[in-house]
Amino acid sequence: MMENKEIQSILPHRYPFLLVDRIVELKPGKGGIGIKNLTGNEWFFNGGNSYPPVLLLESLAQLGGVVLGSKAREENPNSRFFGLFAGVSDFQYQRAPILGEQITLKVELSQSLASIYRFAAEVYVEGEKIASGQVLLSFSRTPPLQNR
Amino acid sequence: MIESISISHPPLPLASEGCGEERIRRKAITDAEKTPGAERKQWEELFHRLSHPFPILMIDRVEEVEREKKIKAVKWVTANEFYLTGHFPGEPILPGVLTLEGLVQGALLLVAESFNRGRLRCSLEKVDRVRFKRAIVPGDRVEFMVQLTAKEGELWKFKGQAQVNGETAAEANLILKINFHDVGFEI
Repeated sequence: MMENKEIQSILPHRYPFLLVDRIVELKPGKGGIGIKNLTGNEWFFNGGNSYPPVLLLESLAQLGGVVLGSKAREENPNSRFFGLFAGVSDFQYQRAPILGEQITLKVELSQSLASIYRFAAEVYVEGEKIASGQVLLSFSRTPPLQNR
Repeated sequence: MIESISISHPPLPLASEGCGEERIRRKAITDAEKTPGAERKQWEELFHRLSHPFPILMIDRVEEVEREKKIKAVKWVTANEFYLTGHFPGEPILPGVLTLEGLVQGALLLVAESFNRGRLRCSLEKVDRVRFKRAIVPGDRVEFMVQLTAKEGELWKFKGQAQVNGETAAEANLILKINFHDVGFEI
């Protein structure tokens, strides 16, 4: 269980790109379940009522980032780390979540190769599975973009 | 996402000249290109084509379209974009998923260009083999190249690539579900 404030201490994302509201179940380094509520005055609903499917991928990636980041924090509370979205495989949409729904995001670490982590991801709305696939994150303990 | 695209408009004005029969079709438009304000007009046209993309319209200009084949669209990235304030504070990087959204919007426009008139509904069915290879930062010019690779009934498959200075920043395979109803006929 993790509230939004704690999520913000792990992820560097802030408004308007923080797309996970709360973590309801967390197994650091292994997997987790998070939720995202959709309310009418969010910026991506501009006359429409569906959550853009690419942002669903971002929500899943951020949940994966919390899972990996909380593991690093567990080992060393002052550790610095940097995660980037590396890719997506085989992501199938059944339908798009719509305004007024609560999305349940589920990720489970399935493979890790060097600094690339592969998560099996599933998205549910009230028990109905609406999307599933795999999300790849690159995660390192040193910020790689410093030389830029 | 369910995107509905209205295609009752005339063909999209191009920022550069098309080729073959496209060129004849678009000659009048390309003449209009030389007049000031054409860029603005194309942007407005794009805006109307993609149902409600306001905060995340990821395409500024379409440079090449070949019906049922490929499209090349361009976006300029600037530090002034609002989502860069949160992604990330002090270190702006164009979110990878928005690069993906640019490729999806390119594919949607290609679909819209491929039909003449009627009611068209598209939904994103699947994304596969998405790889983000390079961070896109303010000041970059992103080129979205989308190619139609296969059609299986109402499923259309695309291969997309986002490039910055000729370097691949992201690539993806997309599958869109196309639902088209003829409305009326052409005279």
